[in-house]
Amino acid sequence: MNTHILGIRHHGPGCARHLREALETIRPDLILVEGPPEAEALLQWADDQMQPPVALLFHETETPRNSVFYPFAVFSPEWQAIQYAREHRIPLRFMDLPATHNLAWHTLKNTDEVPEETTETAIHADPTGYLAEAAGYADGEKWWEAMFEQRRDGMAMFEAIAEAMTTLRQTLALPETRYEQTREAWMRKTIRQAEREMYSEVAIICGAWHVPALATMPKQKDDNELLKGLPKVKTEGTWVPWTYERLSLGSGYGAGIVSPGWYHHLWQHPQDDGTIWQTSVATLFRQKDMDISTAHVIEAVRLGHTLAAIRALPFAGLDEMNEATTTVMCMGDSFPMQLIHNGLVVSNRMGVVPDGIPRPPLQADIEKQQKKLRLPVSVDYKDYQLDLRKENDLERSIFLNRLQLLHIHWGTKMTATGKGTFREEWRLQWNTSYLIDIIAMGTWGNTLPEAATAYVLHQLNTATLTDVTNLLQHSLLADLPEVTDALTNRLANVAASAGDVLQLMEVVPGLVQMARYGNVRQNDTEKLTQVAEGIITRICIALPPACCGVSDDAATDLLEQMSALNEAINTLQHADSSYLWEQALQAIASNQQSAPILNGYAVRFLYDRRMLEGDELNRYLSFALSVTNAPATAAGWLEGFLRGSGMILLLDDVLWHTIETWMASLPEDAFIAVLPLLRRTFAHFSHAERRKMGEKAKNNTAAQPTKTQVAEAGIDHQRALQALPIVHRLLGITSPANNTTA
Amino acid sequence: MSDILRQHAEQLFAHEIDALKQQDTEKRPINWQLSPQAVVTYLMGGMLPNGTEITPKYIGNRRLMEIAVATLATDRALLLYGLPGTAKSWVSEHLAAAISGDSTLVVQGTAGTSEEAIRYGWNYARLLAEGPSENALVATPVMRAMREGRLARVEELTRIGADVQDSLITILSEKAMPIPELNMEVQAIKGFNIIATANNRDKGVNELSGALKRRFNTVILPLPETADEETDIVRRRVASFEKVMELQAETPAMEEIKRVVTIFRELRSGVTADGKTKVKSPSGTLSTAEAISVMNNGLTMAAFFGNGRISAADLGAGITGAIVKDPVQDKIVWLEYLETVVKTRDGWKDLYRACRELADDSTKK
Repeated sequence: MNTHILGIRHHGPGCARHLREALETIRPDLILVEGPPEAEALLQWADDQMQPPVALLFHETETPRNSVFYPFAVFSPEWQAIQYAREHRIPLRFMDLPATHNLAWHTLKNTDEVPEETTETAIHADPTGYLAEAAGYADGEKWWEAMFEQRRDGMAMFEAIAEAMTTLRQTLALPETRYEQTREAWMRKTIRQAEREMYSEVAIICGAWHVPALATMPKQKDDNELLKGLPKVKTEGTWVPWTYERLSLGSGYGAGIVSPGWYHHLWQHPQDDGTIWQTSVATLFRQKDMDISTAHVIEAVRLGHTLAAIRALPFAGLDEMNEATTTVMCMGDSFPMQLIHNGLVVSNRMGVVPDGIPRPPLQADIEKQQKKLRLPVSVDYKDYQLDLRKENDLERSIFLNRLQLLHIHWGTKMTATGKGTFREEWRLQWNTSYLIDIIAMGTWGNTLPEAATAYVLHQLNTATLTDVTNLLQHSLLADLPEVTDALTNRLANVAASAGDVLQLMEVVPGLVQMARYGNVRQNDTEKLTQVAEGIITRICIALPPACCGVSDDAATDLLEQMSALNEAINTLQHADSSYLWEQALQAIASNQQSAPILNGYAVRFLYDRRMLEGDELNRYLSFALSVTNAPATAAGWLEGFLRGSGMILLLDDVLWHTIETWMASLPEDAFIAVLPLLRRTFAHFSHAERRKMGEKAKNNTAAQPTKTQVAEAGIDHQRALQALPIVHRLLGITSPANNTTA
Repeated sequence: MSDILRQHAEQLFAHEIDALKQQDTEKRPINWQLSPQAVVTYLMGGMLPNGTEITPKYIGNRRLMEIAVATLATDRALLLYGLPGTAKSWVSEHLAAAISGDSTLVVQGTAGTSEEAIRYGWNYARLLAEGPSENALVATPVMRAMREGRLARVEELTRIGADVQDSLITILSEKAMPIPELNMEVQAIKGFNIIATANNRDKGVNELSGALKRRFNTVILPLPETADEETDIVRRRVASFEKVMELQAETPAMEEIKRVVTIFRELRSGVTADGKTKVKSPSGTLSTAEAISVMNNGLTMAAFFGNGRISAADLGAGITGAIVKDPVQDKIVWLEYLETVVKTRDGWKDLYRACRELADDSTKK
């Protein structure tokens, strides 16, 4: 048997191309590939309908969380080997440790039952980095790319790789972990098996590091010794669609690559000198309305070449291309390059797997919970009333909310009838298209909480202040503490950079409510409260200047926000925030430049808090209502001052007196000018209040303010008023209130 | 020793350029006195095989210098862009010195720079006496650079009026300068190119026209990358200031420098050094150069009005002045920063109080 060992790096277009060439030359009758043997049964699916990037996924049947992925891009050598085998109708086998052992091994490792006698060294993790360093390169990736990926003549490449790795492993003679030894023993076992089956030309495709271990075969007995009594778990495997984003290093995938999109380009256009690449860069920029001319493209390609020449590289690589793009097209600004990074360098390509493939773990997990929570799938809708104080109902709500976060809208939340925040009403109706959503969302995680967490975190980067608050609201309901933390942090950051105080103010009431509502759901909301306080601090600093020089409409909006915020701060009951809020309102009240309506509101607020009393209040009032002030200003001020408090006006003689005096002092034309504005203010009061005010004004019953006012300060007039009809009836007098209702 | 106040780069580092010339084996573009690789070495520093040490002229990212040199080797001009105090003119001078051996072909851009300063002017006495002739022509640095195949430098390109800027377009695209009065033109010989510098934070500048922009490759020179690097630069520069001014104040403790650099960096980058808290950025540039002047200012205050030891109070006014350039917006930013970051930081109470006092004073006004 002739064996051809082809050492590769897992995702490399150059490698894949050379592998293809090598296979054409070798014409093997069997191909062995590094991968779990269980995947052989799934190879039937890897046909034309399947479009990479895709991944082989194996997970433990019991706990889908324990899983392993083998992603393939079109430029993965393994994928090309699979395609070659399919096209030439020759058998392909996977020779790595079976997933059943592999996953069991990982479980054991986590529970420390397998004593690891040797630990992995940095060189194991990155052997090319070590070689690159020896060759004088700072970056292993660069070295590999320059030496192998971009080489256009590379039949001898596999020999070179084998030689380099053999020398490396011999020279360093690093102790191998038991796990690695076992894997390599299994690979050799597969090779021996192939030999027994009388194959003549066998191509063996494995990670470069393993080449030396497969080239020299030790005694079969030793290998069998190693493979004795391996742990086992029950596993399931399937193909899942994959994305280039998840293939990139940034996604946390161990064998990830920096630039899947660039590699895809290299695979598609091996002869490109940068022209095609820079043209696609230009196209992308143009889609985003940046003016990029053909001359830009020409110059960028030229600069890329010159840079490669200065750096003594045979071809311009991604770095040179990116630098040329930045310098020529983006005026040296690296910010637009983010667009290129996301759109081209990583690229948003997503794979497709054919229909009818075994179901993925997220779906399995969702179905499991469905059964557990007794939420059967049905095409007809069914309503559920959930009482969140019951454990099962709470879990159901969390489950449904998590699905919502993943945009799987199986359940629709209805407005609950009845009072209390512990009640929720859901309408459940299944649609087969949800299956597709679930499979699509499967890239985010194997279990529902995991997927929901990953998906929300993914959205985080682009979320605006309002988005974050929305997500936060949902994730609190979905009981995802990790997400809540991240969102809270994000909220703090977004809030810090938000320049618009109005926007900040919109967020606070919702936040405070969440902090309160969270308690019902037993969440830790201390952090949330802190963020709310942080935002309140910012508001209190920025609000006073924001109240100056605003238009009437804007001021009215601001007033709405301020009163909502006031309520929120009262709910929060936090001394520091309340103090800052008082300070801010004091500043607004004492600043003559503040919009009149806001100024009035602030004065009133201070009056309510007993921070302004007697003469001082009088001073503010008469100042604001001075005859010299434009009538519109005074009326605006009054509107802010009297906002929603007709009853208080009726009962507080100090207030009444001051306002009446002002009104009486108006000359006729000024009074006519101010009348519509006054009507607007008074229109907010209830009918009964207005009528009583009329009576009070007519009878002029308001006495001069007396000392008794102070004694009454603690009395809740509204509540007292409720008792009045009874008192009237007891005394046998017709109550004035009865007349109005009649 | 010459008594010239400041020598040109090619004079000051003549021995380095000579050494590089002798050792340089790479291919040189026509009319370059060094190969592109050697120019990069000249800028970034290094040790030559014969033991000559090349001092680093630019401390920062090597790749940027490679891009700059590569640009000059193509037929696009180079625009060095960046905040004030990021060594733009310095790099431009050294590039010209290393490539052409002459850094003196400079046009200083101002709002009053006229077309005559860029293209050519006339010697009016001659013009009147002899009529239009080549002898009556006054060549500008740009024209001389074109004739000699050297680099011309344009400082503060964006300060020049837009109409005058555009006179560069023909020079850059057709590498020729027509002189219609004499019915002739000056064609640039190989080796000619232009290095322009511009400032991206200034107000009242003239944006480059799209046509001109396209003829420049832009390299943005960034602010120092790490706090340590920046602290080091500030320390060196403050030490040299002390010597020049012969101040009696004590050398500021590293701690004080670090605090100023930290505040500037945090406000500039919009995030605290630990990356945990986001902060807003004020409108000012807050460059390293400004950190240096705040320290110098504090030092002078301490020497003349204080006890000679630099304290938070000496620095407070300088810091506030550097940050609050816009009395409304910047003040909010600064107060927020004081309240959320400075106040809570261990051992920063003195600085907080000093700055807060100043801020409150200005509110009362």
